[in-house]
Formats: sequence, structure tokens, C-alpha cells
Amino acid sequence: MPKSVLIISRQSPWSGPGAREALDIVLAGGAFDLPIGLLFLDDGVLQLAAGQNAKALQQKDLSANLQALPMFGVEELFYCAESANARGLGKRSLDEAEPLSAEHITALIDRYDQVITL
Amino acid sequence: MSTLHVLSHSPFGDDRLSSCLRLIGSADALLLCGDAVYALQPDSAPFFALQDRTIKVFVLDEDAQARAIDIPDWAEAVDYPAFVELSIHHDKVNSWL
Amino acid sequence: MNFLTVGARAIELDKDGFLVDLSDWSAEVASALAAAEDIELTPEHWEVLELLRSFYAEFQLSPATRPLIKYTALKLGADKGNSLHLNRLFKGTPAKLAAKLAGLPKPTNCL
Repeated sequence: MPKSVLIISRQSPWSGPGAREALDIVLAGGAFDLPIGLLFLDDGVLQLAAGQNAKALQQKDLSANLQALPMFGVEELFYCAESANARGLGKRSLDEAEPLSAEHITALIDRYDQVITL
Repeated sequence: MSTLHVLSHSPFGDDRLSSCLRLIGSADALLLCGDAVYALQPDSAPFFALQDRTIKVFVLDEDAQARAIDIPDWAEAVDYPAFVELSIHHDKVNSWL
Repeated sequence: MNFLTVGARAIELDKDGFLVDLSDWSAEVASALAAAEDIELTPEHWEVLELLRSFYAEFQLSPATRPLIKYTALKLGADKGNSLHLNRLFKGTPAKLAAKLAGLPKPTNCL
């Protein structure tokens, strides 16, 4: 049984490579059928905002890529409810992602063999 | 299952410390290294936030000394070999990169 | 620099034979790319190529093998969304070769 990995993505979508790197780890893990989970925390929840436009910055479309996660076999998708509320996150993309309270995140981290925070 | 949370960024610039304190479990521990040792700056908000919690706090001694940070009695100074010991002792390490 | 000649046009390819400019793609280009791989495109090939193009339009990335199989099964049913069928059509490397023929970028997660 391969070790399970939780990726905690806590960088905003367009200001640097952090959000992209976290997603690439998850997609690669999913392609290899690893038990992998993804949690959006802090500014990372901003990756989930609906209606983003990658073309405006001539960048790869991170929001569209996120939608592919269930196709890549990544179905453990979560975001921190508190981070989302603090940032006034309204309409979200990626319906599959589930909001979690702080206690549930503590339990989530406990459940995985490895954790990578980016 | 226990997790060693490792912080290395200054607590005055971003949310890492506050988010970590929100998520840390009762069996977990926190290790401060690099600029994260500034969380022990006396009379600062992160200092009080840490002091109020019952979690185990470890501090990389050399990083604290270099930054003129005194280690309070509720935290424990460690060197690199002790850091390695702590990493092995916990089920996993979560480095807040 | 690699070129693929289609009619009177010379179309630029990268070192692995993928289109440099994705907007160069057309059915004729796909057929010429396939011919270069000794493949004659049948309706079974075309439905996978069209599927890949819709995958790319939706997610802005090329699928690795597993997601390709999963997506094909979802859209065309399990008798087509399996590695046997896709391997047979695309010489054992469906993610890479079908992406090439469909005019998609090389899948980055095919490590």
C-alpha cells in the first residue's frame, strides 16, 4: 500500500509559482494512483474563486486545471472554511471541494501518512 | 498520530503561525527555526499567542541566539541532532514552506 | 527545426513531433501527423481525438493515461474507455500519441 499524501496549498493563484507547484504534485500523484488529498488553506482558498481569467495575465489556466482533479482520481478535495470566510470567498468553482472546520483539518492531517505544505 | 509542525518564516509577515496554531493537534509539537524564532520576541502578539497554548514548542537554539531571542521557560531549545530526533519521534513532519 | 508538410503549408513541430502552434491543427494536419506515425485514422481514432480536444478545452491540460481512460469511459462507455482499446488504437502510448495527433501539448504528467 503506497503512503497517502496530503498537499496543503496555501498560496494565492496568480502571484507566484506556489499554487501551480502544489497542483502539479497532486496531478502527478493522481496519475500514479497514489492516495492523495488536497486542502486549500489561507490565501490558497482564493484559487477556488469562480470567474477567474487566466488569459488576462497570459498564464496557464489554473482554475480550469483544478477542475480536472476528479478526472485524475483526486477526489479528496477540501478547503478551510475559516480561510474562505475571512476572505469573503463567494461563488466557488470546483464543487467537489468540501469546507472543513479547524478541528476537522486537524483530524484530516492525522489521517495522512505524509503532509506537504506549499 | 502526531505531527511535528516546522515553521521557518517570520510570524509578522504572513498567516503561517496563526493557521498552524489553529490546526495543531494536542499530540503535535511545533518547532521554530529561521525567522520563525521571532515569534518569541517578548511582548509581541505571536509570543502571547504561543504562551497561552499548552502545545510543545521547540526552538532551534542557534537561530534564536543569532537573532538575540531569549527562549522562555515554556519553550525548549534544541540543536540540529535534537531536531532530527524530534522528526523521527513524530509520525510525520509538516514543514510550512 | 521539424516541419510537417500539409498541402502547401509547412507546419512547425517541436523535437517530439508536437505542434508548436496549437492553432495549426486541422483534420488534414491530424491525418498527416498520423501518417508520419504509420497510423491511418479510422472513426474510432477520430472519436478519441475529438474527446481529447474537448478535454483540453475544458481543463486546459493534456490528460495522462489514467485520466484519459477515465474520461473516455465517462463519455464513450467502458468498452472504449479501457487501456486495451486505447493502446490498440495508439500503439501502446495513448496519452502521448493521441495528444500529439489531437494537436494538444505534450502531457506533462506522463513522467
